[in-house]
Amino acid sequence: MTGTASKVNQTSDGLRVQGLDFAYAQAIVLQDITFTLRQGSVGLLGPNGSGKTTLLRALLGHLPLPREKVNVLGWDMAVNPRAARQRIGWMPERGGIIPGMSGVAMVAYLGELSGMPERDAMQRAHEVMDYVALGEARYRKCEDYSQGMRQRLKLAQALVHDPAWIFLDEPTSGLDPKGRVAILKLIHDLASNKGFGVILSTHLLPDVEAVCQEILVLREGQLLSHDVIDNQATTARQVFEVEGFGEEELFQARLREQGVEITKDGRLTLITVGSGEGAEMILAAAEATGYALRRLRRQRLSLADVFYKLVEE
Amino acid sequence: MPVYERGYKHWEPSGRKALPPWWAIARRGIAGPLKRRGFLFLLMVAWVPAIVKGGILYFTFKAGQLFDAGQLVRLVGGNWASIEAPGFFAFLTWQKYFVLIFLTIVGTRLISKDRQENGLALYFARPLGLVDYVAGKVIIIMFYYFMVTLFPVYALAVFGYLVTAGATGMEMLVLIPLRATLFCSLAGLSLSLILLSLSSLGHRAVFITVGWVLIYLGSEQIANLMTLFGNRWMRIVDFPAQYFQAGALLFDANPPHPISPWGSFFVLLVYTALACLILKQRIRPVEVVS
Repeated sequence: MTGTASKVNQTSDGLRVQGLDFAYAQAIVLQDITFTLRQGSVGLLGPNGSGKTTLLRALLGHLPLPREKVNVLGWDMAVNPRAARQRIGWMPERGGIIPGMSGVAMVAYLGELSGMPERDAMQRAHEVMDYVALGEARYRKCEDYSQGMRQRLKLAQALVHDPAWIFLDEPTSGLDPKGRVAILKLIHDLASNKGFGVILSTHLLPDVEAVCQEILVLREGQLLSHDVIDNQATTARQVFEVEGFGEEELFQARLREQGVEITKDGRLTLITVGSGEGAEMILAAAEATGYALRRLRRQRLSLADVFYKLVEE
Repeated sequence: MPVYERGYKHWEPSGRKALPPWWAIARRGIAGPLKRRGFLFLLMVAWVPAIVKGGILYFTFKAGQLFDAGQLVRLVGGNWASIEAPGFFAFLTWQKYFVLIFLTIVGTRLISKDRQENGLALYFARPLGLVDYVAGKVIIIMFYYFMVTLFPVYALAVFGYLVTAGATGMEMLVLIPLRATLFCSLAGLSLSLILLSLSSLGHRAVFITVGWVLIYLGSEQIANLMTLFGNRWMRIVDFPAQYFQAGALLFDANPPHPISPWGSFFVLLVYTALACLILKQRIRPVEVVS
């Protein structure tokens, strides 16, 4: 059974949010959020205070919601959040342990609270503790765990009842580089090989690049973008490295007329064109001004470039 | 071997029956303190008054022919040797300090500990609601409350029936257990909710413990002081006394203090309603202002 997706996971519906607004007292936190997620790994990105955690709480049914705004795995979270939570795993950012219990006891206890029989829960707790590499520390009190171990313990408790989706809130927060890589590998494995739906909320862009196929970008409670990561990196804007000889100023002036950004990086000229435009524009300008191109190469934009452009705009 | 290659197995349900979440909470909470030897010793000590009362009943009714039973009753006080309902009610009032000790040990950390490390978020990410959570915690407190009040009364009632050679059958086997069950259930529920509401107010168990002891003992001392100056109605501030004032109605006993038992009952209703309100406000997976 290892490495295969369960029937539960294969037949699960996705998550649907339709026109969701939410405010804490007078402060608007989420505004008209709409998206649908089928499965796979999704990065939830945004600066601090952009509404990421609130959106996750809405998906968990922790917030008072109007009907038909948030639908998780076929259940309306305003009507039947408990049924949906049976198939959701949640890894909170802060705290997230129950002091006084050993690691394995805590995971088994939370398994029982998820509707598992006592013996099944204990057996599963041992399995997931092994999976997250806490097997040797399973009988230690969870308040004595290091930060890295706590993060893995929180992941274990999110997995114990074998949910269809797991929501991870800043899972690499406070981890050293080794611990961060280990937990990202686990998350990647769950999303890629084990058929889980994963929502990874973070402001660490490399984490999202390492694990996710899609991103949701939030800023001040608004959804700025929902796209596949590769599309984001290629279609939002493109930067070309250009080198050549001839009437360079004329060539640049011609391009500027068409509204592109031009900067210099040593000998290279960096030409940034908008989405939908490409190398043809540069080739046409070179031909028209007699500028001989020696180098024309598209730079691959990182997610960070795309993210910062989106949130700054 | 890298951790992620160790493999993840999906859960295949065994077909065993899952119990409700409140039961899981209660079971863990009850089992926890019983693992401590000191706690078990204390529990045995809490049964000493019941053993003493049982011994007095024995000597009064079974071995009375060996010496003057009336002298023994005069020596220890009428309630110790009484097999009437007020005698058992008096036994419950003697247990109030054990109630304080056990409820302090068991109850003050029940919610504060969960709040300390954002544990409530873990609970409510599961398919359980506020009622399941509070019910599980209430059962833990009530179990230990019963351990020092109701269960000794049951034992004494059966013992009393045996030493009186069945002469008190109806009273000992039905009426006294019934009265005690009703009293302990209502008082235990009210005490549990009030203690849980206190526990939900903070993260630091030490402050909650101090607050609880002040309410339980401090209110009694304040009332004692005020009644010294002739303000007898100030007994209404004595928190534990309200339970016994109201309980006197159930046991056909004389109220221990000169205030209305129905007044005490009303005060307890208000306290308990307030406790429910606090619990509803404080136990949330997320703080929502509106």
